[in-house]
Amino acid sequence: ERRSGSLQRKSALFSCVSGQKQMYCHENWSLSREEFEIWDRLYRIKESDGIKEPVLPQSRFETLENLEEVTKHEEEATHELSLSEWRIWQNRPFPTAMVDHSDRCYHFISVMEMIELMRDEQGDCSYELEIQPHLRIEDVNVQRNKSHHSVTTST
Amino acid sequence: VPWVLQRLKAAVHYTVGCLCQEVAEDQDVQFSKQTIAAISEITFRQCENFAKDLEMFARHAKRTTVTTEDVKLLARRSSSLLKYIAQKSEEITSSNMEQKEKK
Repeated sequence: ERRSGSLQRKSALFSCVSGQKQMYCHENWSLSREEFEIWDRLYRIKESDGIKEPVLPQSRFETLENLEEVTKHEEEATHELSLSEWRIWQNRPFPTAMVDHSDRCYHFISVMEMIELMRDEQGDCSYELEIQPHLRIEDVNVQRNKSHHSVTTST
Repeated sequence: VPWVLQRLKAAVHYTVGCLCQEVAEDQDVQFSKQTIAAISEITFRQCENFAKDLEMFARHAKRTTVTTEDVKLLARRSSSLLKYIAQKSEEITSSNMEQKEKK
């Protein structure tokens, strides 16, 4: 009961922003007639706009059985938003407005920068050369071949 | 970088190399050394994300010990991944039970 009370207060606050007039038909989850008219006129993508409807790529696992239902979009009519076509911009933090970058995001940026630095390497890998002297064989499962699965050596 | 982190990175890099080798043989493709290095670094950093999330999930349930339920939450975004992890979790639980019964 308390919960629905605070929710109502929130939605009331919300509709206050858009003014008194619209408030009484704003009780619904859906758009009011006026809102629908605004959406239809200003934002809704129509065929006559000559632009494709944006869709997000769906997650897919190469190494697992995929359970996610695949909604097949007609490629002609949609524009799949790409998370990789601007990769060369992604080795530095992009500006923020209200939400700071997360640790996850900074990790992503760092790895993009690392990839950028390795891009022109031929053969030998600087990362490998730097890291390999630190390998202790007791930290890893040593696989001699596929039949001998994970034999751990200890010292 | 502290030496212990370098040592951890080296172990991750070695293991990633082995796994990539398996994939390479299986799929008949080749990975450049730089690709393997990048996957290692991603894995290493992903461990930090996982560790922080697991700790928070456990704390959210007022626990100080991370359980398999917390691990399943890491996979919540994909039903395919979640199913796979849940199956593995059951396998581990039942094989643990068997071992206990043997003793």
